[in-house]
Amino acid sequence: MSNYKSVRVTQGRGGWGGPLTITPTDDKPLIYSVTGGGIHPVAQKIADLTGGEAFDGFKSSAKFEKIAVAVIDCGGTARVGVYPMKKVLTVDIHATSPAGPLANFITEELFVSGVKPENVEEV
Amino acid sequence: MSQTAHTTRVLYESAVTGVGEQVAAFLEHGILIFFDEKAPEELHEMSVQHRATVAEEGPRPGDRIQLGGADLEILAVGPVVADNLLNLGHLDLKADGKTEATLPGDVCVDPQTLPLLVEGDAFRIVRPETAVL
Repeated sequence: MSNYKSVRVTQGRGGWGGPLTITPTDDKPLIYSVTGGGIHPVAQKIADLTGGEAFDGFKSSAKFEKIAVAVIDCGGTARVGVYPMKKVLTVDIHATSPAGPLANFITEELFVSGVKPENVEEV
Repeated sequence: MSQTAHTTRVLYESAVTGVGEQVAAFLEHGILIFFDEKAPEELHEMSVQHRATVAEEGPRPGDRIQLGGADLEILAVGPVVADNLLNLGHLDLKADGKTEATLPGDVCVDPQTLPLLVEGDAFRIVRPETAVL
């Protein structure tokens, strides 16, 4: 039995959406980083504070049902919509707002952007 | 007497290895999305996957993007395009005619029907250069 904690993620400067409360569980333990250059510091901080498992989506593949939160560095079109479309909580490092063909899937309950490590706080 | 020659420098050279089922639907919006073939599975259906052999530099306006037989002038490039391309093989191409990128990941070209690529097609970015001989 793991003992997970919750974090609150708020939008950063110029960002959109949220705040999101993220609580990994035994079924959804992964803090899924789909970012360039390995695990992003925001994903690492969420993992460190919650006890979730930081996971590099570009290194190996994970089952969608296992993802507690997806951390992306999306410039606005593709990744920004894919994870909300699948109802996965999504944290974008870049300060994007809903746009593109998948914009209608991006809601304040599922998505927060412009996030820096200081926007991640213990609850 | 010196002469000039127009040449191109290859900034990025890749070959298409797969085309997702949703790519045609995105083309109707004038959008073509690329990801390295090692990108997570969930990104495959909306994107063209490819394997790069040259990944030296991101594009800037005036460079050309070559897709299969098409050769398009790049009008605008968002601030995160180079990182996306060099780290993830990721690029969002928009045929919106914008000379300032709307979103930070956009690469903009003239309004047109972008090509539906197939496996084996080239995905290349080149920079026109003038050399003095």
